[in-house]
Amino acid sequence: MRLAHTEDQALFVAALDAILADSVSGFRAVPGWGRWEYGTALDAMLDQNGFFEAAREPTLGAVAAVELVMRLAARPVAVEGAASALLRPLLGVDLPRPLAVIDGNPGVVRFAPQARAVLWLGETLRAARLPEGAAIPGETIFAWPVGAIDPARLDWHETGADAVRARTLWQLGQAAELVGSLTGGLETVLAHVRDRQQFGRPLGAFQGVQHRLAAGAVQMDAARWLVLKAAATGAATDTLLALGQAQRAAGQMLYDLHQFMGAMGLTLEHPLHRFTYRAKMLRSVGGGAAGQMRAFADHRWGMA
Amino acid sequence: MDFGWTAQDATYRERVRAFLERELPGDWRSIARHGPGSRQQTDFSRVFCPKLAAEGLLVPHWPREWGGGGGTVWEHFILGEEMWAAGEPRGPQYMNVNWIGPVLMQFGTEAQKARYLPPMAQGRAVWCQGFSEPGAGSDLASLRTRAVRDGDSYVINGQKIWTSYAALAETCFLLARVGTEGVGKTAIAIFLVPMDTPGIEVRAIPSLIGHGDIHEVFLTDVRVPSSARLGDEGQGWTIISAALAQERVGIPRYALAQQVLDEMVALLTERGAFGDPVTRLRAAEAALACEAARMLVYAVIDARARGLTAEAATARLAVIAADHAVNDFGMDFLPDCYHGDRHPAFLAHHERAIVTGIAAGAAEIQLNLVAQRRLSLPKGA
Repeated sequence: MRLAHTEDQALFVAALDAILADSVSGFRAVPGWGRWEYGTALDAMLDQNGFFEAAREPTLGAVAAVELVMRLAARPVAVEGAASALLRPLLGVDLPRPLAVIDGNPGVVRFAPQARAVLWLGETLRAARLPEGAAIPGETIFAWPVGAIDPARLDWHETGADAVRARTLWQLGQAAELVGSLTGGLETVLAHVRDRQQFGRPLGAFQGVQHRLAAGAVQMDAARWLVLKAAATGAATDTLLALGQAQRAAGQMLYDLHQFMGAMGLTLEHPLHRFTYRAKMLRSVGGGAAGQMRAFADHRWGMA
Repeated sequence: MDFGWTAQDATYRERVRAFLERELPGDWRSIARHGPGSRQQTDFSRVFCPKLAAEGLLVPHWPREWGGGGGTVWEHFILGEEMWAAGEPRGPQYMNVNWIGPVLMQFGTEAQKARYLPPMAQGRAVWCQGFSEPGAGSDLASLRTRAVRDGDSYVINGQKIWTSYAALAETCFLLARVGTEGVGKTAIAIFLVPMDTPGIEVRAIPSLIGHGDIHEVFLTDVRVPSSARLGDEGQGWTIISAALAQERVGIPRYALAQQVLDEMVALLTERGAFGDPVTRLRAAEAALACEAARMLVYAVIDARARGLTAEAATARLAVIAADHAVNDFGMDFLPDCYHGDRHPAFLAHHERAIVTGIAAGAAEIQLNLVAQRRLSLPKGA
């Protein structure tokens, strides 16, 4: 048991944090008051420096990949990372990125408008390049770019990758995105309640506020550790626990984060919605926390 | 990052399990049913702990000078995890091992160390901790028991409450206020008080956590020599902080909770009652709470093993949630098991779980700590 990053992982995270601290990942209102902004400059910077290849490096592995995904999701701009960092290394072919993943309804696929290739997660894992204009951008209240992809129009090929393993990695990636989104939201709200004075003291000095944020942090920290463990072990049960814990944490936290940000958090001039409306979408994947828990029960105690 | 056990740690855990398998009697569960502070479990600890000591498994993390084996932080932790999962056969003596002994090593005089450490290391010492008072629970620094200097002695008057093990302990690790000026944390001293000292009266308080487990301790003109004081006058809070640092992450309660949960599921399965999706969902949620707690606790222990200090309140809160999740699951889906005495493991876990979040620092205090230390929020109003 050694829960510190290896030297290489620590260097990876430090370099990543240095890039993420740059203004290219910060918040700015989007013309037309859109709910998301794709971090094109950040994506290019990370891509050029090989950050999405971490899982291919034995000294970095999936642990570094989920650190990347969590940290990316904690920034106001949206960048496709989970599929690139976790699924792409599984493939025999070198697909261009960003990647979109069809896992269910092809009418609402995250990152479809930006994607240059698509993975279709079913009984097998198939891949197709996505020609420009092939995805139709969609409207959503969630803070992810989404679009529709017509599978019939694409030239699919089997990747030969283990589909079960791919699903586990995709669940892991979504768990990491959810933990990152909650982290970004919590940090935003903490900055607010430390600063905002009401009744003669900071909001964050009230125990009613402190206890709820603390309780959320406990659940979120647990989810973060479970994500890291699942990345390290690669086990399906660990991944179900990680995603389930992140989805459970999201429930109360999303209410509390908006509650403590008050009316300011309802505006599109404030970044809180970027984090919470990403988390609200991820909270439901795979049947939500209940879905992961049912699957975990089958693994742990056998099918009903 | 490596979430697997080293070969050394895995072997150590197997060694502890093998010892427990060999040494716990067939009726151990009925003994453990009564709780760590009960007469049954305390009496058992007086037999069991010397065997642990002989095996080198009582104080393996202590320095060799005091009977230890120079074990690692993880070995010490694995030992505690396995003991708790087994129902804590060390009874009250786990306190000696975990913090009273180490604190005496750090702050005790040579005479105090020579008097108290060998019996602890041999597994034949039972202590109680005289901390809480009727007016000082979570706000421990407001304690009012007073020790007044009289020549080369102190005369102690006051009352302690919720004191575990008091009726059976030989010695009390007692907090008292000294002098007449100091308030709060500045004028507290610690005394190592033999429980047979005249003026000490112990009354058991009937409770939900087993008979004879918690007590009131009345101290009336209890005279102890100044040599019974641990550290200097006014150093008490520093020593308490050191003791709490030893116990930072508390008892690994998820270890027993997880085991009991599996037994509950096995029983439900046997009854043909584990097919219902809601039952399965709730069982999985309880298992998740145990795993969440385990990971947060491991993170604290890992930091300690690397010589770092990690905020432990987060882990403590997760442990509380895990214990309650399993207890609630049992009471919701196996309510009949809480009547009579046919399921001692569930009853034993129940009595331990309802203490979680109250003993050794209320959950709300832990939330304050997380808010201030982990989230850097201003001290609460």
